[in-house]
Amino acid sequence: MACGCWTGWWRTISRAEPGRLSVRFAAQDGGGAARAAVGLRDGFDARGQTLGLRLDDGPEAAGGLAWAALRNSRALQFEAPTSGIAAALACGAALRAWSPLAMPPGQLHIVTPDPAEAERLWSLAAPGVAGNLLVRDLVAEPANRLTPAAFVERLRGLTAHGLRVSVRGPARLAREGFGLLSAVGRAAASGPYLVTLHWPGEGRPVALVGKGLCFDTGGISIKPAKGMEAMRADMAGAAACAGAMLALALGRAPQAAVAILAIAENATGADSYRPGDVLRSLSGRTVEVIDTDAEGRLVLADALHHAITRHRPACVVDAATLTGSIVTALGHHHGGLFGNDDALRDGLLAAGKRVGEPLWPMPIGIRHRKDLDSDIADLRHCLHGRQPDACHAAAFLREFVGDTPWAHLDIAGMDLAEEDTPLAAKNMPTGYGARLLEAFIRAR
Amino acid sequence: MPEISFVKAGLPKAGALVVLMAEGGEASGLHAELDAASGGLVSRALEAAAFKGRKGQSCTVWAPAPGITKLVAVGIGVAASLTPDAAEAVGGAIWPLVSGETEATIAADGLEMPVAIRVALGARLRGYRFDLYRTMEKPEDKPKLAKLAVAIPDLAGARAAWGPFKAVADGVFMARDLVSEPPNVLHPVEMAERCKALEKLGVTVEILGPKEMRKLGFGALLGVAMGSAIEGRMVAMRWQGTKKKGQKPICFIGKGVTFDTGGISIKSAGGMEDMKWDMAGAGCVIGLMAALAGRKARCDVVGLVGLVENMPSGTAQRPGDVVKTASGQTVEVINTDAEGRLVLADVIHYAITKYDPRWMIDLATLTGAIIVALGHEHAGLFSNDDTLAGQVEAAGKSTGELCWRLPLSDAYDKQIKSDIADMKNVGTRAGGSITAAQFIQRFVQGRPWVHLDIAGTAWATKDMPTAPKGATGYGVRLLDRLVADHFEG
Repeated sequence: MACGCWTGWWRTISRAEPGRLSVRFAAQDGGGAARAAVGLRDGFDARGQTLGLRLDDGPEAAGGLAWAALRNSRALQFEAPTSGIAAALACGAALRAWSPLAMPPGQLHIVTPDPAEAERLWSLAAPGVAGNLLVRDLVAEPANRLTPAAFVERLRGLTAHGLRVSVRGPARLAREGFGLLSAVGRAAASGPYLVTLHWPGEGRPVALVGKGLCFDTGGISIKPAKGMEAMRADMAGAAACAGAMLALALGRAPQAAVAILAIAENATGADSYRPGDVLRSLSGRTVEVIDTDAEGRLVLADALHHAITRHRPACVVDAATLTGSIVTALGHHHGGLFGNDDALRDGLLAAGKRVGEPLWPMPIGIRHRKDLDSDIADLRHCLHGRQPDACHAAAFLREFVGDTPWAHLDIAGMDLAEEDTPLAAKNMPTGYGARLLEAFIRAR
Repeated sequence: MPEISFVKAGLPKAGALVVLMAEGGEASGLHAELDAASGGLVSRALEAAAFKGRKGQSCTVWAPAPGITKLVAVGIGVAASLTPDAAEAVGGAIWPLVSGETEATIAADGLEMPVAIRVALGARLRGYRFDLYRTMEKPEDKPKLAKLAVAIPDLAGARAAWGPFKAVADGVFMARDLVSEPPNVLHPVEMAERCKALEKLGVTVEILGPKEMRKLGFGALLGVAMGSAIEGRMVAMRWQGTKKKGQKPICFIGKGVTFDTGGISIKSAGGMEDMKWDMAGAGCVIGLMAALAGRKARCDVVGLVGLVENMPSGTAQRPGDVVKTASGQTVEVINTDAEGRLVLADVIHYAITKYDPRWMIDLATLTGAIIVALGHEHAGLFSNDDTLAGQVEAAGKSTGELCWRLPLSDAYDKQIKSDIADMKNVGTRAGGSITAAQFIQRFVQGRPWVHLDIAGTAWATKDMPTAPKGATGYGVRLLDRLVADHFEG
């Protein structure tokens, strides 16, 4: 390997894990055959393929697009006029270079006037990139490989980066009264689990809560066969939280954070929970089950209650691929943002804008809560038919957070790339959420 | 529908007396007077019934004093919470409690004038009924109350203050009537005729038929209309309430699909009867014009409605057809059930070229997606102008006709690219309301514009605070308030 001024851990990761691009910055030409630079013509010259970098959509997008266009070449070289652009090009390329296949790691040589400064900027951004790529790794895994137990093992591996990991298994969850999470996960061969990732730091922690449904059949309210394969990605919320925690750890963030991941498989089986069942949540509130396919809000409710009562966080942010309704509402270009606290909302909106993972605020109306009144329990967890289900889900979750500042990110529609984008190929995981949550916490 | 009358503050000779009570409040004024006349029975009864004045609480005391059939105490919660805006819901709550009486009086002697007026407005709006086609209902099942009296010290002041609110209520009722009418009665030609009623109020009404619209190149609107046996219409209504020269008018544009079968992309049968209210955007614009002219608003306003019926037939437009809009842009019709935006495209273009407006607001029961996104409490708001959007949102909060802003961007706009024409009329399910708004935005030529998707708010399946179930008249009060707050004088 060529020597350069690497960020040590990035080199470790890029060697150990497929799909991690090696990046180095230098003032001199690296002799790369394929080159991208501002003002260069698209085409070929004596050295090889050439590409003009267009920075209209930001240098990160340009880096991603350039990598995608030139990736067939063995040695790749970008030329960046400033250190900031150099680091951003590296981010874009490193993100777009991810692939689910065990590809040989690519190499990127970036020519820039001040390589040391570029390296420093890259070292600030690279933790977020690493977090994002972890999300992609996890989301891409099929559900026969990433079972709840396997997911937990992967998360245990994060101890290598300085996170403390603790795990509650099925028996302990049942004993401690996680009635909702236990019911959702009990029909599957593996799980459920509640995993806690700790990153120590100053002050009361920010708590992240993630929905980690390794596969969602819908349960007894089974989904139609068409498109069900995409349900392997129904753990993208938990993966985003894990990715953010990895980023905080790699970046040695001074802020304290804790992530509570509710991990389960919503299977159809003889022991599945049923529509009509009344469950007792960890908070003591009883819930009437209407549609077993609205399982995400159930596991989140127990995880939120646990996060708030156990960790006394300054605020709590949950992330979940929760509803089809949010896709109907916002499509694939914004995550839905709900919550009970204006400052928290603004902080998340700003973080989303900064990292290019935009959110859009959504309402929890009086009617949305009223619709959840049950005839038999404290709450029903959803309604049938053409409903504002994303708003209903948020209204449901709000019942479990009390006065704690809380935000809920409904990221269904953002987990997989609907079409080719600068940073992700079509149908591939986007890693959405990790950099957003990292940026939000780092700004505190 | 109860007429509101104002009477001198004094105990009524007959009928019901309604008193408002705050949490921890004490009887005063008429309430105390009646309590004394009843020998303390009223206060004992309220105490026995554990009436505390909590919001939503009410208590009836029968025959408290000679002549008076009942006292109805209505809780308003914390006294300070009874703002003029909040007063409407209180008025709305009063109506069902007294509608069975022949006479009723609201004791407004202790209320500020703006609060008293809005209580009256709430009661009047809630008392709306659409009875035209009920021929066999027994008299005892109908509300008996024809006139609701409001007892208030400053009679002249109250009557003067009520005038504009009555005009707005009449506008709301006009919108509700239009939306409630069945589609065999209220077809495009009939609906256009009904707009002429506004001439009495000083509104200029101009009706365009197919011949004129063909001349103007309304290919999109006429494409939708051509499946029906009944011709399409466009109506322009102008209220010039200001003498100021050189100021451009403002435009309100409504979708008026008097019945929407979906056309060749026909809808499923379940619930299709609801599609009679697919003209609620136009109904709102007509009601709004009645409200503004009725209260002689000092502004120059044009209301435009595109009226069509969307039917499947041998002459109907097909999926795959390409139509040319008045703006010259072409549209590939992918789904004939996404017809509202086609109608709006031509009417909006007409509004711009004919009236050169300062800004435009369109209202349409445009997408089912907006119900999945927001439900029935908020309308979807889309805009290219943050100031105007903020003003509409604020007016919504004041009138209880809420709206919630949703995003627009080039990324969504790409979803309506067509392979054969300038655009197609639907994208995918994802962001369905947004892509509909992006479609409309392509016709506004960069002018300040707000689009309200009212598919979730035009019709209520349950009674609302100030509307019985059925047509809500959503939008009339919201936009009347917008004009009153920012665009008069």
